Amino acid sequence: MEEMSLSGLDNSKLEAIAQEIYADLVEDSCLGFCFEVHRAVKCGYFFLDDTDPESMKDFEIVDQPGLDIFGQVFNQWKSKECVCPNCSRSIAASRFAPHLEKCLGMGRNSSRIANRRIANSNNMNKSESDQEDNDDINDNDWSYGSEKKAKKRKSDKLWYLPFQNPNSPRRSKSLKHKNGELSNSDPFKYNNSTGISYETLGPEELRSLLTTQCGVISEHTKKMCTRSLRCPQHTDEQRRAVRIYFLGSSAVLPEVESSLDNDSFDMTDSQALISRLQWDGSSDLSPSDSGSSKTSENQGWGLGTNSSESRKTKKKKSHLSLVGTASSLGSNKKKKPKPPAPPTPSIYDDIN
Amino acid sequence: AAAATSPGGGCLDVDFAVGPPSCSHVNSFKVGENWRQELRLIYQCFVWCGTPETRKSKAKSCICHVCGTHLNRLHSCLSCVFFGCFTEKHIHEHAETKQHNLAVDLYYGGIYCFMCKDYVYDKDIEKIAKEEQGEALKLQQCSKPGIGEKYPTWETTKPELELLGHNPRRRRITSSFTIGLRGLINLGNTCFMNCIVQALTHTPILRDFFLSDRHRCEMPSPELCLVCEMSSLFRELYSGNPSPHVPYKLLHLVWIHARHLAGYRQQDAHEFLIAALDVLHRHCKGDDVGKAASNPNHCNCIIDQIFTGGLQSDVTCQACHGVSTTIDPCWDISLDLPGSCTSFWPVSPGRESSVNGESHIPGITTLTDCLRRFTRPEHLGSNAKIKCGSCQSYQESTKQLTMNKLPVVACFHFKRFEHSAKQRRKITTYISFPLELDMTPFMASSKESRMNGQLQLPTSSGNNENKYSLFAVVNHQGTLESGHYTSFIRHHKDQWFKCDDAVITKASIKDVLDSEGYLLFYHKQVLEHE
Repeated sequence: MEEMSLSGLDNSKLEAIAQEIYADLVEDSCLGFCFEVHRAVKCGYFFLDDTDPESMKDFEIVDQPGLDIFGQVFNQWKSKECVCPNCSRSIAASRFAPHLEKCLGMGRNSSRIANRRIANSNNMNKSESDQEDNDDINDNDWSYGSEKKAKKRKSDKLWYLPFQNPNSPRRSKSLKHKNGELSNSDPFKYNNSTGISYETLGPEELRSLLTTQCGVISEHTKKMCTRSLRCPQHTDEQRRAVRIYFLGSSAVLPEVESSLDNDSFDMTDSQALISRLQWDGSSDLSPSDSGSSKTSENQGWGLGTNSSESRKTKKKKSHLSLVGTASSLGSNKKKKPKPPAPPTPSIYDDIN
Repeated sequence: AAAATSPGGGCLDVDFAVGPPSCSHVNSFKVGENWRQELRLIYQCFVWCGTPETRKSKAKSCICHVCGTHLNRLHSCLSCVFFGCFTEKHIHEHAETKQHNLAVDLYYGGIYCFMCKDYVYDKDIEKIAKEEQGEALKLQQCSKPGIGEKYPTWETTKPELELLGHNPRRRRITSSFTIGLRGLINLGNTCFMNCIVQALTHTPILRDFFLSDRHRCEMPSPELCLVCEMSSLFRELYSGNPSPHVPYKLLHLVWIHARHLAGYRQQDAHEFLIAALDVLHRHCKGDDVGKAASNPNHCNCIIDQIFTGGLQSDVTCQACHGVSTTIDPCWDISLDLPGSCTSFWPVSPGRESSVNGESHIPGITTLTDCLRRFTRPEHLGSNAKIKCGSCQSYQESTKQLTMNKLPVVACFHFKRFEHSAKQRRKITTYISFPLELDMTPFMASSKESRMNGQLQLPTSSGNNENKYSLFAVVNHQGTLESGHYTSFIRHHKDQWFKCDDAVITKASIKDVLDSEGYLLFYHKQVLEHE
């Protein structure tokens, strides 16, 4: 191969050389492709490129009026269902949100229902009287019997709140700590305060329950009573007996503070419960942590310096004003104008 | 070896019942101690050259010993130093006379066996070849950074091949496929959530993260992890299942982790987006994405990598002209609209030249107009004096916002919902937004040129660093109290689809650009390495 100077060559010569180089490059590329195919055939994987034309059609996008891209007619999904993670019932998908709200005790009627339950549970004449109210509460069927073990019950007394009860554990000071870490403990398996199926509890949970709650097993429901250690429905004898049964003959009835009342929790338990309501205290710097977004209201950030429009993600602010200040609202196609509902009482009302 | 049979008879007349890819002659070659090293030398000098020097020497020395050409598919004999071209059969002659059965192609490194009269593929030799090729590429990268890593194609293993052979109903995803699209059931006023889910699951870089299974959950209870649920959502939406998905688990988790959003009522999609990003960010503890998490103040989770930009605020003291700068992280930019009673629009919309190729009709406000207004120097009045550090007194000042660091995904939020003391209403003014957006004029670095009145964009400067492409639009129809959200998402590069809860239909680009726009999602066109 000789070296050649390109200067002094006229345009047509240069053109010819360029063409030659171009042709070589194209040929090289084609050769590479041929090798790929050859190797695929020789090594036996060439067939992978084949596709089945019939099944290819299964996924082709449809573009016709009245049909979606899958060729389906609109509005045929009324019968879709899902299983509520809270109560394990099967719920129509399009009604899941309203159901979940009630199921978690957040709805507008929940406080009324909850109060009724409290009133009934204070009734001493019947044992397990709250069973009667079950149908009212949260539309849920609490009488599981043996088939449906309460699995991961994320909700419990957390969501159903006896707002007017002055002894509500929600008013404990732990509420002021808004930066609690998300609780590590298993979701509590409480089946509201009618009792808990002790078969679902592990040994540690059982032990923990017995240090803070009554624990007497109802003959009726076979469940353990989750009221306080001084619950009037059961005697100390019964309580001692159940502890001996589960923890052995050395088990003792825990000391009880006289200030505790019905349905009140041990501080640590309530703290754990309440922390589940709150956000992680994350120290990572991210927009929600930013502290300097406080300038003029014209500063248009997603963080939103105006409280009304976008509710802050900052954990320190009171972020629980409910519907009243809701901004743009979207829903399904029910177009009836919906005036902003009055704020539902919330546990955080107490704080601010 | 398992014989692969041709499904349904291909058009290629090839015998698929092949034998082993290698041959006995190669096996004879692979004896002794030196063959590996000798082979490596051949690859290094004559096939894959890493440095300009070796390239030059290859060009000089590799010519056919018979006819002198350096083209015509030159081969090198494996047993001696001989180069011969294939086309003129000069290498074949050499093979016959010298009984040297093997030669290597100098273009692609394949081994040709003259006895079998075919190229052969031997595992050991290919392994060496791959290594040498990799080494050469590395050397090239040293001298010319910017040549990216070469990604090899997927190689099937034998058991995989067999398995695939049993499943002839293979489908290659084409741009006319529905895979990646799926409706979402409205759970009761949850259209705001559905739209955000559609936007997030069609964010290319986020999609790549989740579909390659990069999330490592470190939450104490994975069933409460929103990132895990997100991962599951991606799987559902990309499953090809035509029946709409029911995102009830997502709703439940959001209600648990973002308490202020819990409740059966209509809500704001923008608010949901921010809350969702926040929870995802907090739950991303386990994922190490790139840079080591050695800096505790800087989160490197996928959410921050994608969505976090840096908003720079410069406050200039009017007395001493000292500038105080702060940079805050932000996930989106909320823009005031003309006609809002809280906003002030000094620039008459549409007057300046069409910067981003938006439909330039006088009187129509564009996204660029909004951004220009957002980044304008603003004189803070005498009621809002700032304490100046150098003057040591309260002075009037101007404030200006610009982008210091651009996020990979930029989300723009039009503040259509007015909650002033006077009124609560929705501003339905149409804002024109472009398919492609250049953020250069709104960067902190562009402030100088803007002050000098040069807002002109470098038209085709080749600088694509700040260029974005629209990929999702969330729209709201209705009033402030009651309405419905739908979204447009981009799929397969240039196709758009309208997502109306459970119903997905094809849409045109015109449909998208003519829509009112509430949330706009733009994706950077070029991603840089850290």
